Amino acid sequence: MATLNAAERERYSRHLLLPEVGAAGQEKLKNARVLIVGAGGLGSPAALYLAAAGVGTLGIIDHDQVDLSNLQRQLLFDTAAVGQGKALSAQARLQALNPEIKIVAHPVKLGADNAAELLANYECVIDGSDRLETRYLVNDACVLFKRPLVSAAIHRFEGQAMTYVPGQGPCYRCLFPHSAAGAVPNCAEAGVLGVLPGVLGAVQATEAIKLVLGIGTPLIGRLLTYDALDMQWHEFRFTRRADCAVCGDRPTIRSLADSVADEPMRGACRDLKPQQLRDLLQATGGGHITVVDVREAREFAAGHLRGALNIPVGELPRRSAEIPLEFPVVFVCRSGGRSRRACELAAGAGIKEPASLEGGLLAWAAMVDPEMQVAPVG
Amino acid sequence: MHTVRVPSPLRSYTAGAARVHARGDTIGDVLLDLERAHPGMRFRMIDEQDRIRPHIRIFINQREVNSLDEPLAGADEVHLICALSGG
Repeated sequence: MATLNAAERERYSRHLLLPEVGAAGQEKLKNARVLIVGAGGLGSPAALYLAAAGVGTLGIIDHDQVDLSNLQRQLLFDTAAVGQGKALSAQARLQALNPEIKIVAHPVKLGADNAAELLANYECVIDGSDRLETRYLVNDACVLFKRPLVSAAIHRFEGQAMTYVPGQGPCYRCLFPHSAAGAVPNCAEAGVLGVLPGVLGAVQATEAIKLVLGIGTPLIGRLLTYDALDMQWHEFRFTRRADCAVCGDRPTIRSLADSVADEPMRGACRDLKPQQLRDLLQATGGGHITVVDVREAREFAAGHLRGALNIPVGELPRRSAEIPLEFPVVFVCRSGGRSRRACELAAGAGIKEPASLEGGLLAWAAMVDPEMQVAPVG
Repeated sequence: MHTVRVPSPLRSYTAGAARVHARGDTIGDVLLDLERAHPGMRFRMIDEQDRIRPHIRIFINQREVNSLDEPLAGADEVHLICALSGG
């Protein structure tokens, strides 16, 4: 085990004063290897604190570039970094903060094909990703490759965090077995208070340090939630599910190729790309297709496709009789999640071959009609 | 009457309110009462087979709920939790 040099003893002197850390603990940190998935709002504070704390090897996975809109919360980056790759920019910032440690930049997208190789070099993972698919992939990878995981997520003024330790408690899938992308809005859609990920990212760094040192009580089997508006924390107990798809008694996810975020679709539904819907509407003059917008009335009022019928997805079970059956039915919503669910319901209600606008009106606005006003959700 | 804490992704149904009140002897009853006051909200949490959707968790105080038949006592607080994806 590497020991501390004189500069390190000074740098970490406030840690060395803590009996729970001390020289032995600081050496554990120096020998630790922590991987951070996503150099975003959560990854920024987590990485800064772990680098400052002296975690000896810190990996940063991010394939994105720094955007001006990131700077409101992603403290790893400054204005001059806009346009640069996040992983390399983060590496430079963290190395400047602490030249005693090793920062490894992974400017790649984490996927089923490279997760095993990436995780193999680390003993603990922090999930700061902003996509559901990645959240489930990271969880499944940590279960399959037996790595502790500190997971957190944020939305508007709310955050949540939990810790998974192999063999000691439930995983993220035990908490939320599946999530449909359309049902779970992200920060780009709904906004986020800039300081919020700072709070949750610091929680993640704390958990990772505790795991490395073997001190305290980690958030195993406990969901910690934070409401910044009320300034309230809550803690909820949850248990491992025997039927969990990845850590349960009869797992169906045995390799990362099986890892998906969403439940498989039931019923016969097809996705229509925005251009395909445009062509259909143009070919029929809009008169021979029924477009059903399943967003809430408030969202619908802000802007919708001409001639669309508005039935919020929550009202669909009791209002499906309002949908004319003589023409093909296409469901639309903001980003394609609610319309897929509507499609499934419609198929169950006997509507033949219902379709869903892939990517929703956001994709429509991006690819077909930039004038389309798409209201935020939530 | 139970206090129900609403996660931000569902607050469009409660006019932005983070806390609402609902009556019921079971979680299922409370959700039906919520639906009466906030139409459309229940379907975002419960599917057509009356199962709690997999991205939603319901807790009574700190205790996890896996069935809509879970009983509630007088001062119990209901927490609705939604998976979040932001990072």
